Amino acid sequence: MTTASALPRTPEPLDVFRSRLRDFLTGHGPGRRPRDPEERFAWTRAWQATLFDHGFAGPSWPEEYGGMDLPFAHQVVYQEELARARVPGPVGTGLGIAAPTIIKYGTDEQRRRWLPSMLRGDTVWAQGYSEPEAGSDLPGLRTTARRDGDTYVVNGQKVWTSHAARADVFFTLVRTGTRASRQRGITYLVVDAHAPGVDVRPLRDLTGGHLFAEVFFDDVRVPVADRVGEENGGWPLVRTSLGHERAAGAMNQAATYRRVLGELRQLLAERGALEDTEVRDRMADFEIRARIMHYNGQRTISDILTHGEPGPVSSVSRLHISQFEQDIHEFAVDVLGPAGLLGPGSEEAVQRGRWLYGFLRTRASTIGAGTAEIQRNTLAEQVLGLPRDPGMPSV
Amino acid sequence: MSLSLGEEQEELRLLVRTFLDDKATSHRPPPPGTGPQKYDGGLWRQLSGQLGLTGLAVPERFGGAGLGPAELGVVLEEMGRALFPSPFFATAVLAGQTVTHCGDEAAMERWLPDIVSGALTATLATAEPDGSWAADPPATVADRGRDGWVLSGTKTYVVDGHTADLLLVTARCPDGVGLFGVPATAPGLTRTVLDALDPTRPLARIRLGATPASRIGTGDASESLAAVRDLVRAALAAEQVGGAAACLDMAVGHAKTREQFGRPIGSFQAIKHKCAQLLVEVECARSAARFAGSVVGSPGTEAAIAAAVARSYCSEAFTHAAKENIQIHGGIGFTWEHRAHLYLRRAKSSELLFGTPREERARLARLTMSEGAAP
Ligand SMILES: Cc1cc2nc3c(=O)[nH]c(=O)nc-3n(C[C@H](O)[C@H](O)[C@H](O)COP(=O)(O)OP(=O)(O)OC[C@H]3O[C@@H](n4cnc5c(N)ncnc54)[C@H](O)[C@@H]3O)c2cc1C
Repeated sequence: MTTASALPRTPEPLDVFRSRLRDFLTGHGPGRRPRDPEERFAWTRAWQATLFDHGFAGPSWPEEYGGMDLPFAHQVVYQEELARARVPGPVGTGLGIAAPTIIKYGTDEQRRRWLPSMLRGDTVWAQGYSEPEAGSDLPGLRTTARRDGDTYVVNGQKVWTSHAARADVFFTLVRTGTRASRQRGITYLVVDAHAPGVDVRPLRDLTGGHLFAEVFFDDVRVPVADRVGEENGGWPLVRTSLGHERAAGAMNQAATYRRVLGELRQLLAERGALEDTEVRDRMADFEIRARIMHYNGQRTISDILTHGEPGPVSSVSRLHISQFEQDIHEFAVDVLGPAGLLGPGSEEAVQRGRWLYGFLRTRASTIGAGTAEIQRNTLAEQVLGLPRDPGMPSV
Repeated sequence: MSLSLGEEQEELRLLVRTFLDDKATSHRPPPPGTGPQKYDGGLWRQLSGQLGLTGLAVPERFGGAGLGPAELGVVLEEMGRALFPSPFFATAVLAGQTVTHCGDEAAMERWLPDIVSGALTATLATAEPDGSWAADPPATVADRGRDGWVLSGTKTYVVDGHTADLLLVTARCPDGVGLFGVPATAPGLTRTVLDALDPTRPLARIRLGATPASRIGTGDASESLAAVRDLVRAALAAEQVGGAAACLDMAVGHAKTREQFGRPIGSFQAIKHKCAQLLVEVECARSAARFAGSVVGSPGTEAAIAAAVARSYCSEAFTHAAKENIQIHGGIGFTWEHRAHLYLRRAKSSELLFGTPREERARLARLTMSEGAAP
């Protein structure tokens, strides 16, 4: 650990912080991204450790768990600089989803035990919520946890668990109440992925890769000490977010997509496709939507800085982004014609089939982490105040 | 750069909202075929002289508030929401911004104080029968007669052209595109109201037959007019956001109260999803208009890009919202008495006047896809 980079108590001026971070990123950058998935995983993990060891991990986390505890404006700079340096993001879904819950609802002992190793990338966390019978309707989940002294005995199945094959820990929702208790009978449990009775079976996703897996629990014993919150009190913990950390990164996706759009423009220019009026019109439309993604991010950030709250625009950003990323990849494939249909196995493939892969991969953009339909329901009911469907169970 | 409304902008918004809520009482659509809606002269004097809205973006030395496109956007979003019939857009935006940015002190001195006080209504007449509002070079010609310049030609799609006291007209001069001021009472000038889709934003055709005019500025005015066009685009985009937001509000309001099959229609998912999609578009449109409002008026291509982005997106968002609003209202939405169609009329006419979305995208493509354009 270098002590020189330890964060001073009073917030640094933003430009000083920016240049300190930029120096670090130039001096310690992770280097080239390996093609081989195994190597890439090790590389990503090593980078996470480098960040942690130099005091540059967890921008919004409390310092006692290895975080930086930055004011919001600094978090924005942090995200900007990391995006600019094009360094890899964290492994697993722990940092983004589990950590905020544990920071807010975990015990001191749990935080000390789990958070630093998660932040350093030493343990990979994966989210085990969805089940074969419980996707959009998560309160219908069936994996059970039966109390036996100071352990729970867990039985059931999770599915679509991203990063499961590499996970050390699953943060899960399990049923401790009756089946009919729905969200009132759900407990938040942290399960050791290496414990006896845990069986991870990789699934092939539609891209041909292994984005996710099934996870089976067969009499898995989980210490009661690994429960977050109360028994049957897991549901309210699910939507915890950590301050406005996500908003601070809102512009990164926009920056990424403006770069992707630039790369597509370059490709189409090389192939002479930009002469076509229709192609230019569509490309201009993507330009508009990518820029609006950027403005949305900027507006969310200025809303937080001005009013302390992210405002209405933050709630629509995800739908805007997912529509964009699906459309642009499909458009690229369409314009490329037959050559757009080839994957990396053929030497004639355009840019190793990246647009084709994107076309396939982004089918998930409107499914994972809440489908587009569910998001529209939520916007309609929670932002616009439209009445619930009386046929739906209340959540 | 902040894209949130600051405290003073929020106050301005509230001031305009309250004024319009109080004063702009139920605008019943005028009966079909009776021509455009008349504006209320009393309200006009209040919102100009009293509230100072026509002078918001006019320099202080001419009695204005010296604010900029962001504040103009705040006002227009509210006016667009209320579908307020008034010569504000023509006078304060089209003409007011043209004069403010014309670089001719004498012209500013002569007209801006009266625009600020509300004594003068004005408009900009650039479009010609081919429909392009950026006609360059214009077919209307300016000749230097014995007693000064005279103009001949036809301008059309002129907003408030039949009521404005002053017309700012572009014409072809020996030294490029010239900008001229022509009083509505000038000899040889005839004006005719057009049977236009939107009764809340009247359009007129102006014929000029050797009509005497005073030149504004010297030399080719193309560049300053291009900058003004971006200011107009940003302002109009803000107005479209207001219109779209009003349509969404109306649709949601109706969906909450109208019951069919024993429940509010807003509890049906088909209706919910329409509204949610409009919300996405309204918020994205608002981000685009705010951004445009924060950069237009400053030099460089960023202003032109932002204006094109905002106009293309806000145009389509408003028209979509206006159509969905009618759909969500059902039969009542198809009546003349219901205001829903007024929004559709405004939306479609704002979409097609001052550059269509397709034209804006073609412009954007030129600005961003040429060799060496920044990604
Ligand atoms: C790439 C990827 C990664 C994922 N990673 C994880 C992970 O790490 N951990 C995890 O727990 N889960 C993960 N998921 C699962 C994801 O959260 C679920 O797929 C999602 O919530 C939808 O559930 P489902 O697949 O059961 O579909 P269903 O809920 O069966 O939905 C099927 C269709 O019905 C629609 N539908 C359902 N209910 C309604 C309704 N009330 N109104 C309107 N339409 C409705 C849906 O929108 C969808 O179109 C992942 C999914 C993907 C694709």
